[in-house]
Amino acid sequence: MPLLFDPVNYAIPGFVALIVVEMLIARTRDRQRYCPRDTLTSLLLGFGSTVSSALTAGLVFAISMWVYQFRFFTIGFAWYWFPVAFVLDDLAYYFAHRTGHRVRWFWASHVIHHSSQHYNLSTALRQTWTGFVSLSFLFRLPLFLIGFHPLMIFFCAGLNLIYQFWIHTETIGRMPRWFEAVMNTPSHHRVHHATNPRYLDRNYAGVFIVWDRLLGTFEAERDDERPRYGIVKDLGSFNLFWAAFHEWVGIAKDVWAAPDLKSRILYMIAPPGWSHDGSRDTSETIKARWEAREQRGIAWKQPTSSSSVEDRAGAPSQAA
Amino acid sequence: MSKLAIFGGSIVAVLVLALLARLLGLGGARIGSAEEARAAAEAMISGFEGGAVALGSDGRAALVHGGAADAALLKVHGARIAARHLRAPFVTAPASGGLAIDSGDARFGTVVLKGVTAL
Repeated sequence: MPLLFDPVNYAIPGFVALIVVEMLIARTRDRQRYCPRDTLTSLLLGFGSTVSSALTAGLVFAISMWVYQFRFFTIGFAWYWFPVAFVLDDLAYYFAHRTGHRVRWFWASHVIHHSSQHYNLSTALRQTWTGFVSLSFLFRLPLFLIGFHPLMIFFCAGLNLIYQFWIHTETIGRMPRWFEAVMNTPSHHRVHHATNPRYLDRNYAGVFIVWDRLLGTFEAERDDERPRYGIVKDLGSFNLFWAAFHEWVGIAKDVWAAPDLKSRILYMIAPPGWSHDGSRDTSETIKARWEAREQRGIAWKQPTSSSSVEDRAGAPSQAA
Repeated sequence: MSKLAIFGGSIVAVLVLALLARLLGLGGARIGSAEEARAAAEAMISGFEGGAVALGSDGRAALVHGGAADAALLKVHGARIAARHLRAPFVTAPASGGLAIDSGDARFGTVVLKGVTAL
């Protein structure tokens, strides 16, 4: 069994260097792409995520090894299994990520990554503190049952995370057409981070956008609709702990105040925005309202924030 | 590579990057006009249709009235705008140089419309 390392640790200097480069570009093109307080919040949330992951990594690995003993096959560490493991791990990531947006329990953990109204490389590092609590590691367990060793899968997961860093940017417009067809790109992932009704809950891919194309969740970025980033109800706060835990607090309050057992359960597992009296918006209701407007011929007004109104000249090129 | 070294290096990098963002003069935003406030409110609050706008003289906040005894309360948040959907009656109080409006959300806070005395 080879001694596999965590590739993310070795990528950190590269992350820092690329953020510096992106900041310098932002200074010349559009200073509002970065905000010092937002950047500090994102990076501290990323730091907290590494600490929480370190605290729970042993337990996750132990659970993984326990599951691995029930494997159907024993897949070795031959080099050709690594690309297979990488692709299957990316498919598992797709389902985990999709669930992270469609089930409130998982969303409570993942929302931290979407809580910035900016979209830059520092946003990529805004990662969850509560991944273990939300049980997101469950989505990788089938890979261990197939027979991939947990060390191999976690190595691939690290590479997957590194890949996803560079796509969190407005600096890059579009990649070559063949690349956009197969791979997740800045353009595809801008859509994923957008709260425009058209873009909500789309493009869950990690590395290969083909999963979204195959499973009906793909939406292309449009030249006439610039993404507006954040969450449907933006935090309006740079408080680290509120960013990390606000949805958990919301779940606790809702479960406490729910009128019956069914509602209590649904406040945990229904899509974000679900409420027992229908008083809140889910992505479906937001999309339905927007589509009704579109059908009535009322143009959905585009931007979004003062920055996006002002910075159109500095927007990434979206020409195909 | 020890975890402690990674954590130590990471926290230094975090502080250096945040400082660099400030030294480079990144960020900054204001609500430039009533039209901009209205567009932001309509984009940020699903189904909202903006009407009259009370815009703070410093461009840091605005209240956009809706068509159903409601309003969008906007504030500049970093280099972006954040919004809350309010229902009438709005909770207001005089503030130094303007009018304070309670967002109803402790973390979002109270928003002051500079130069505005009444809605």
